Amino acid sequence: MNGPLSYTAFYAFMTILTGGVSAVWFAFDLRNLLVTRKLDRANPVVRDRKFGYSIGLVIATIGMLGSTIFWL
Amino acid sequence: MVAEAASIPAPVPAAPRVVSPWNPANAVTASRFLTLPLFYYAVAHGYHQWATFCMLACGLLDKLDGLVARIFNCKSAFGELFDAIADATCYGFGLIVVAAFGWAPVIPVVGVIALGAANTIMRGIYVKRAGRTTNYKSYAMERLVAYTGYLIGFATGQFEVTFFYWLFLPVMATILAYDTKRMLIDPIPEAG
Repeated sequence: MNGPLSYTAFYAFMTILTGGVSAVWFAFDLRNLLVTRKLDRANPVVRDRKFGYSIGLVIATIGMLGSTIFWL
Repeated sequence: MVAEAASIPAPVPAAPRVVSPWNPANAVTASRFLTLPLFYYAVAHGYHQWATFCMLACGLLDKLDGLVARIFNCKSAFGELFDAIADATCYGFGLIVVAAFGWAPVIPVVGVIALGAANTIMRGIYVKRAGRTTNYKSYAMERLVAYTGYLIGFATGQFEVTFFYWLFLPVMATILAYDTKRMLIDPIPEAG
């Protein structure tokens, strides 16, 4: 793999960029979801936000899983 | 007294602020296109790491334009649409290139592009329904766009490509089903 980084450094970078960001993202959207739990579900914007944050949790989980699988 | 009250002019509602399309935020958005030739060159010559860094720069510029819009107070409906167009162009181009050079599986890429095209068409219908330049704010799709940028990076870096590409499709299909109902069936909120 030609580039400025060694094989190990590049994949460590990829892991931090994917797994690390996913972990932060998971915490961020979990907090958002808990905050919106108290809001009125009849409001379509609240429903959009809840759906968006739930999808955020799913995507963050995929990111963390993929990063872990790479090193197994 | 009555005559005095009648002579006081009624307050005129403030005109909405007009933002020129030639503003710093849109310039940052447009600069994302400059990463595409470099990206293509890197992929065509087998420079995996450089191709990953090009896509990373494109993604960072995507985050930067929102920040610039807030700093220079130049947020506009056109800017939001332009940002969505830039996302579709950059990530669509990136996906096609990595699939064409065999760095990513073709079937998921075709699926992602087809669903993306369907989303773009629905956004056009939403604008027509609204009768004004507006962009449906999808919290879920915002998250998926970031995932799309990552998808290209996974292909250029050869980082668990199969896992990330095949899981992307059901997530995108779920979001599109939800957004289809919101854009084509549900009532459109008033301009605010």
